[in-house]
Amino acid sequence: MAKTGLDGHWRGPTIVARALRDAGFEVIMIGMANTDDIVTSAVDEDVDLVGLNVGGHIDVAIRAIESVQRARPELPIFAGGTITPRAAKQLEALGVEVYPPGSQLTDIVDAAKRLTDKK
Amino acid sequence: MQKKSTDKAVFSRSGIELKSFYTGDDIPDEHRDRAAAAPGETPYHRGFHPSGYRSKPWRIFQLSGFGKPEDENERIKFLLKNGETGFIMEHDRNTADHCYNVDHPEVVARREDVGLTGAVMQSVRDTAICMDGLPVDSSFGHAGGAVVQHAPFALAAYWTVAKQRGFNLAKLPGTGQSDFNLTYLGCVTKEQIPTLPGLRFNADIIEFCDRYLPYWVPVSIAGYNAADTGLSPDQELGVLFANAVEYLDEIKRRGSVDLTKAAKACGGVSFRASIEFIEEACKMRAARLMWADLLRERYGITDPKVANLRIHCVTAGSKMTYQQPLNNIVRGTLMALGAVFGGVQSLGVSGYDEALSIPSEHAHQMSVRIQQILQEETGIANVTDPLGGSYYVETLTAQLAEKAWEFFEEIQNQGGYLATLDSGWLHARAAENQYQEFMDMENGDQQVIGVNCFQDDESPFEVDGFMGTDDAFDVATARLNDVLRTRHEKAAASALKQLEADCRSDTNIMPAMMEAMSAEVTLGEIGNVYREVFGNWNTPIQM
Repeated sequence: MAKTGLDGHWRGPTIVARALRDAGFEVIMIGMANTDDIVTSAVDEDVDLVGLNVGGHIDVAIRAIESVQRARPELPIFAGGTITPRAAKQLEALGVEVYPPGSQLTDIVDAAKRLTDKK
Repeated sequence: MQKKSTDKAVFSRSGIELKSFYTGDDIPDEHRDRAAAAPGETPYHRGFHPSGYRSKPWRIFQLSGFGKPEDENERIKFLLKNGETGFIMEHDRNTADHCYNVDHPEVVARREDVGLTGAVMQSVRDTAICMDGLPVDSSFGHAGGAVVQHAPFALAAYWTVAKQRGFNLAKLPGTGQSDFNLTYLGCVTKEQIPTLPGLRFNADIIEFCDRYLPYWVPVSIAGYNAADTGLSPDQELGVLFANAVEYLDEIKRRGSVDLTKAAKACGGVSFRASIEFIEEACKMRAARLMWADLLRERYGITDPKVANLRIHCVTAGSKMTYQQPLNNIVRGTLMALGAVFGGVQSLGVSGYDEALSIPSEHAHQMSVRIQQILQEETGIANVTDPLGGSYYVETLTAQLAEKAWEFFEEIQNQGGYLATLDSGWLHARAAENQYQEFMDMENGDQQVIGVNCFQDDESPFEVDGFMGTDDAFDVATARLNDVLRTRHEKAAASALKQLEADCRSDTNIMPAMMEAMSAEVTLGEIGNVYREVFGNWNTPIQM
């Protein structure tokens, strides 16, 4: 899990990480990370799923997503945070599942299970 | 709505068990005797002055800013034209909070984010553009500098521009923030100075304002940032006063500022007003009570002008929902109402689009209109402390203060406020509450309209996020290059050297910071000095 922006509000990603850990996932949190950090971590840690907390402009998230997809085309990605409805459509077009504020934790955990089983 | 069982215990957000009604016998004895005092009198919980909002309406004070300094300037003028009675200059978080210039690799990597949360101000030239034509002498300006390491720069830049425009600093009103709860608890940055140098910065600002800017509120502790991170209302109170005693004890240790004046300087604080608005009103009342008690008992200060806590309040951003955003106009109104019932002196209402983005022009205008309707149409300003004497409100006020002191003591037992930030103890408490709040929604114990119930939305209005302008990064880059090329290089280098020397010694850094502003030293250069001299805070949370 990574935050794409340089904004350190941590409520969202920590709650999601806790729910995922409670469900048996091992979660690697790399905090505020730029595109290179995210790709490096996704490759080196051989992760099964990438979770992005998006707090800023959607183009920053898109750059990270496209870079991860180039490095590991099969790797599923999901995203949460303050993503506007219009930006959510842009992410969905890239095959990224979006969980905006107000999403249920059970839905996020179910998505993580589904996305990691699919491979 | 489901019918609820009536024999199930009900608790306030602070974990205080609520009765289904109250009588005079419920008010704790100790509080009953004090409760009848008039507003403006000991124990001060009833408000700042007997005439309350009749003589002084609360200040309409909205967070504002995005894009280039001129975009922010335009938005602030829009708000002032619409009736805002103070103004807040937000700085871009990417650059400001980290003390980076826009050419820092971490900023370049996120260039589209630049300007999304405030204007980019890297030198006094940018600040001058942002302040152009603003009524800095007749209004109440907030220079920005919410994050501790950024505050000396933000303040000095604002003061330097004011001085260049011919304003007398000795009469300049305004505030910054330099808030520990934001910096080290709610919104940590990638790189920031540790808490001890942070405390030193804030004490330096308090000293400098005492000498040169007596009308400026030098620091403003924000319970808001603790509460919106998850702390409950009683904890928000406890943490705020635990923070205040760190400042006052440090000032006392230095012995350079009269303690009563320092207490007045620290007595302009901010709280969150959340949706359980009666408890929130009680929280503001409890805060005033606690501040007066704290000053008297710990420091022997009884001057009424100082013992009267001054409160700015912001409605809870995290209570604004992404779903059915127009409902947030109602939420903003109710949260504002709680703040006003609590007698706050200053108020900001979050935009209805808060869960999506920074406020659009229309959302911003609505936030001002909500406050104007309360002030002008409801008659709420006619009588001070309208809830005073209510069995329930007086009981809850006293119970909140008691519970908050317990949390304050817990913090002292952990080694004090700074220790609880450094160890992550406070973060763990906040995280526990966050998770509980989430689970309450998840299992339906807490219904949130449009989010986990009544989810059909037939609104004909589409609300999408406001994304500001798209040229903030490019313009900031050009302006940075321009200032580095055209400033007096020798003066800049020498000012920066002096600042570094003062950072390394125990000299107050503010005089050197003022010199650095005049010499057009940039934010990133100052940040490099901090990183070199103070190193990086070891963030106790994983995110």
